[in-house]
Amino acid sequence: MLILKNISKKLGDFHLSDINIEISEGTYYVLLGRSGSGKTQLLELIAGLNRPDSGEIWLDDENITDKKIQGRGIGLVFQDYAIFPNMTVSGNIGYSISSGSYDKTEVREKVRKVADELNISHLLDRDTRHLSGGELQRVALARTLITAPRLLLLDEPMASIDASLKDDIKRLLRNLNRKGLTIIHVTHDYREAVSLANKVGVIHNGKIIQEGNTDDVFRKPVNKFVARYSGVRNFFRVDFIKENGEWKAICDDKLIFSLVENDYPKEGLMILRSDDIKIFNKLPSNPLVNCFKGMVKEILPSEYGMEIIVDAGEIFYVDVSADTFKEQPVEESSEVWISFDPVAGIALHGTS
Amino acid sequence: MNRYGPFNWILLVLSSLILLFLVAPLLGLFLQTGASEFFETAKDKEVQDSIWLTIWVSFSATFFFAIAAVPFSWLLARKSFPLKGIVQGLIDLPVVLPHTAAGIALLGFISRDGLLGKAASSIGINLVNNPAGIALAMAFVSLPFLINSARDGFAAVPERLEKAALNLGAGRARVFFTISLPLAWRSIITGFVMMFARGMSEFGAVVIIAYHPMIAPVLIYDRFTSFGLSYARPAAVLFIIVALIVFTALRLLSDRRKTVVTKREYADS
Repeated sequence: MLILKNISKKLGDFHLSDINIEISEGTYYVLLGRSGSGKTQLLELIAGLNRPDSGEIWLDDENITDKKIQGRGIGLVFQDYAIFPNMTVSGNIGYSISSGSYDKTEVREKVRKVADELNISHLLDRDTRHLSGGELQRVALARTLITAPRLLLLDEPMASIDASLKDDIKRLLRNLNRKGLTIIHVTHDYREAVSLANKVGVIHNGKIIQEGNTDDVFRKPVNKFVARYSGVRNFFRVDFIKENGEWKAICDDKLIFSLVENDYPKEGLMILRSDDIKIFNKLPSNPLVNCFKGMVKEILPSEYGMEIIVDAGEIFYVDVSADTFKEQPVEESSEVWISFDPVAGIALHGTS
Repeated sequence: MNRYGPFNWILLVLSSLILLFLVAPLLGLFLQTGASEFFETAKDKEVQDSIWLTIWVSFSATFFFAIAAVPFSWLLARKSFPLKGIVQGLIDLPVVLPHTAAGIALLGFISRDGLLGKAASSIGINLVNNPAGIALAMAFVSLPFLINSARDGFAAVPERLEKAALNLGAGRARVFFTISLPLAWRSIITGFVMMFARGMSEFGAVVIIAYHPMIAPVLIYDRFTSFGLSYARPAAVLFIIVALIVFTALRLLSDRRKTVVTKREYADS
């Protein structure tokens, strides 16, 4: 288990302040934050490349705050992989064991074994300068995994590889985690957290502003920043009122949303995930709650399928899958009806 | 005419004047030296000895000082420490000092009353008028070329490669010898060649420390002042030719690595 206790570090004008994180063994933890938020600095503190100004780092009941980098048993894969250009692929992978107690044959066997696991055996004698992003990443992973780390740190592992290779890498990382390896993965892309993490932390200006299980963080963001960061695009400034025992959110005196029973503030933000909104090209025959008539302003292709921007008194961003869009096509400037389940409306305390 | 506008013509004329200025004296030197006097000088044992002395002393000075100067360059490239700016200024100082002044300063240090001189004489070595003293004089004025080039080479090695090696369990010394040094190698070799060349051509500092044994620049000066221009000229031509051969050979050796790498890059692509 990794525990960071009250970690603070000043780096020029930037501060990492009062970081507290607990990551139990076998967790896939994604640290989410914009560039410059302090993600990489935090990884370097954990790896031992820098020392914190205050606070403690514990790994498996051992205080490793002042322990030498070489003895920590923590593997770090850098964002641009930091592959040694003066060595071949096998030279890179075997670097950590080639000066130790292993003889040449043992080193070769160990390198071959880890290369087989990562499907890069065919690259072993290659010069590293002409490898693709995906190949370099596998070499960097193999080079770290050969050290049998207790904890694997990944700095933006998807940032420099083609979209087509991302699924392969995700599968690889998921498998490593399933075999029991604890992973901390930093990224700016919430989709990586959704598809990989079982725990997520959101870091902003050197502070962890929300942490928890992936579902909890994405379903119940603590503020607008986290919500926006986790992919939410529909924000409505509303007054929350209870009428005849039912909660409603009144948006700008124009739209009234029905909500489920919950603890709501008097006023605040209501958020809606784009894929929680349904869209119809004619008035649905079954009466629906939270159903509003609007006009399609724009249709854009998206990773999910199509993003449809609807003006229904307020602007709604609606995500529909390619199949749904084919079944029920809509056109720009056409009349549509949108609807969402009261459960989907989430209240944020405060407006920022 | 459109293609070569007035600005380009001006550039061409100015560049030609500079090149002419550099080449003309050397060309004149070669043209005014007769073949018979040249070969006679080349056979002269005194001249041969002085050229050989110049080459091996300068090479030894560069080699032995590089052992300390290269790690020092890494320190300058990687570490921040108090008064680093002043240290950097001190390194460049020999470049701006009059070399005779540098020689005088060094003489105080290596003569029998000086700190290093005393230590050397206690083991029976007199550094003044000795190849060891000549090497120190050459190194004093030429070290900045090696240190600055090696420092720039180390600075160009991405620091995260060193961090990655540390993370893989390597100690600082192993990181230095397996990552930093091989990746900065070209700049270090360039600095080495420049220091060696600068050492070979040094006159001012060396002549203060050791008139004898004579290195080639002192011998040329000695022949000029004792016997005149025509007697000094063949020795100068011979020394220039030898220096050109040595530097060309060194550059070819350091470029061969580059060529091999480039060929491999083509083969892989």
